[in-house]
Amino acid sequence: MSLVIESKKLRRTGYFPAFLSGSFLAAAFPVVYMMVKAEELTSLSGNPLELLMSANWQMMAMLNILISICGACMMYHTEYADNGMQKMSVLPIRQENLFFSKFVIAALVLSAMVAIETAVLAGCAEYWFPGYVSDLTEILQTAGFQIVVTLPTVMLMLVIASACKNMWVSLGIGVILVFTLSIFPQDNTALSLFPFASPCQTLSGAAANSRTALFLTVCGIETVVFGIGEVLYLKVRRCLA
Amino acid sequence: MSFVSLIGVELKKIRRSKILLILLIPVIMMWIPGIINADMNFDLRGIPITPENNFFIQGFMGMVWFMIPASLVICTVLLNQTERADNGILKMLSLPVSTTRLCLAKFTVLLMLAAVQMILSIGAYYICAAIAANTQNYNFVLEPLYVCKIVCGLYAAAIPMAAVYWAISTVIPSPIFSVGIGLASIVPSVLMINTKIWFVYPMSYPFYLLMVAYGRAAEGVYETQIAWLTWLPAAVGITILALVISCIRFGASERRSKQ
Amino acid sequence: MNIIETHNLTKTYGDFTAVSHLNLHIRKGSVYGFLGPNGAGKSTTMKLFLGLTQPTEGSFHIDGKTYPSDRISILKEVGSFIEAPAFYGNLTGEENLEIIRKILGLPKSSVSDALEFVGLTQFRRRLAKKYSLGMKQRLGLAGALIGRPPVLILDEPTNGLDPVGIHEIRTLIRSLPQKYDCTVLVSSHLLPEVELMADDIGILNHGRLLFEGTMDDLKISARTAGFPTDNLEDTFLAMIDEDNQRRGGTV
Repeated sequence: MSLVIESKKLRRTGYFPAFLSGSFLAAAFPVVYMMVKAEELTSLSGNPLELLMSANWQMMAMLNILISICGACMMYHTEYADNGMQKMSVLPIRQENLFFSKFVIAALVLSAMVAIETAVLAGCAEYWFPGYVSDLTEILQTAGFQIVVTLPTVMLMLVIASACKNMWVSLGIGVILVFTLSIFPQDNTALSLFPFASPCQTLSGAAANSRTALFLTVCGIETVVFGIGEVLYLKVRRCLA
Repeated sequence: MSFVSLIGVELKKIRRSKILLILLIPVIMMWIPGIINADMNFDLRGIPITPENNFFIQGFMGMVWFMIPASLVICTVLLNQTERADNGILKMLSLPVSTTRLCLAKFTVLLMLAAVQMILSIGAYYICAAIAANTQNYNFVLEPLYVCKIVCGLYAAAIPMAAVYWAISTVIPSPIFSVGIGLASIVPSVLMINTKIWFVYPMSYPFYLLMVAYGRAAEGVYETQIAWLTWLPAAVGITILALVISCIRFGASERRSKQ
Repeated sequence: MNIIETHNLTKTYGDFTAVSHLNLHIRKGSVYGFLGPNGAGKSTTMKLFLGLTQPTEGSFHIDGKTYPSDRISILKEVGSFIEAPAFYGNLTGEENLEIIRKILGLPKSSVSDALEFVGLTQFRRRLAKKYSLGMKQRLGLAGALIGRPPVLILDEPTNGLDPVGIHEIRTLIRSLPQKYDCTVLVSSHLLPEVELMADDIGILNHGRLLFEGTMDDLKISARTAGFPTDNLEDTFLAMIDEDNQRRGGTV
């Protein structure tokens, strides 16, 4: 029920259209890439989907992260802009539920976005690589992995947005985090497990180093830890009010 | 009211906004990997470049492709939200100030914030180069004239982009869309500078300029000549167009809703 | 029987005391007027009741429940309207109330009921951010009245309304206890306004309670203290002034 309420609050904010256009923009990357430099990839040996991922995922993941940041900022901007949050805090609901409903919505929207992107990647593979037949299990595995490694970012960003009344502060923090983790060396395992860096990992890359399980576990734990962090934060905030 | 005092008013509006902190953090962050991995600057992977130039250009790389545009987007949000949050814009529109001048004053503040970030980045560069020089026993510090020239160039190259972001934020009242478009537009600039039509994409200008500097410092990496003939008209055209649009559209949605 | 009682309720922010050792007694089924100049601590007290801020010292109970252990069940019984109207600007008036209705688990009809109550029915499809100040105020009131809660906490509910609106809201508040068997705590900085609505009044200045009792009690105690009594506004001003001078003298 609180999911319905939270999604209702997003009406006319452009939240859902923003994610939709974001996913189309991200999906356009592999298409444009193949239209311009198809030979570069088709001449290589290897799994076409993996080749496409390694050529394009960095940028697509970056877009996913940026759109998630905007989304989180927007969710809490609607709460704080006209004091809606204050009304919520005098109604008999738990602040935690409000937060986790928002997280579920953000996670679902992100999943849809990643699903569209992987579907387009698979479509590109079929179109440009003769003889490649897309395999649903492979697509689902890829999409699933990419979603899980992005979840800590989504959660952390919502935590940040919930703490900042001014939208541009949370936006600024989010952008700085993206920037910081994008300039750190990508080949460092510990750093690549951080939120804002982990979404750039690809399933094939992780599998090649047999780190798939590591990524999935650590990202799962991170998501839970940030969630617990928010619960504690809300408790502290209530006590200090 | 003179334009200068109008700018003073605009600067006063962003007092206590902690914007300088947000501008300062990335400037510092961008050098941390550079200091930690200072020894990597000697591993040139066959690129004919001196370690000190490598240190400088690698450090600024993240700045030009991501942080300059992202900072501009954040600043436009700040400038707009301070007006819209408590309806300050309505008060401004009801005062005897021309909206065009108001809009241009805000744009000037945006450019001033970007200038502050550039100055901070020069300062951070020298501090970090000195630290790296100490740890590696190698002089990483480049001549101030060269560094300032490059950074000023990057700043000038960022102006058309700032104008475009400013126009986007005035045309699109929904903050999520203006921010989303702004941030999303950063990502493709990596692709754009490798195409022939990079000059139609203002978000890639500072990146292009740094790549040319890279090309000059390391032969064969990128072009060494700036294509002024195509670039300058495109940049000036885009800037003027964006500013005209933003001046026309500034405060339009607020004016309409009051009628 | 008192539905709200406070015991030495105190709230300090750093070295500033917003509310100091407050002992309020609000009878069930009454309209309690909470009176005091701006910054006297009225809003802070109301925020304490709603759990929006934590007491530094002392306690209170509402309908036998205490904060923080019964936060949710207190909030289920209390309809509130605090300070500036709080709403979602991107939603219409109706949608705003719809959200509150769902959270409170009320029947669908309660939304149109509340809109009708505050006279917003014809503007229900308009975005809340496009509302005028008075309409925003009415929307906030509708959000407090929806579901007819047994306790209503209203912070300066007539702010920003036109004379007709002020009269309507006053009449509405006056009629609530009989109609819906509820208790109303309403704050104001205007004594004549409180006089028209309230059964009991509490006068607050600089966080301290100067007086609590019925309107007649006020007149009697003012007379004995030597304050003017023919005009209640003067009584109130004289009381505040005397208190300020005493405070100024001791500090």
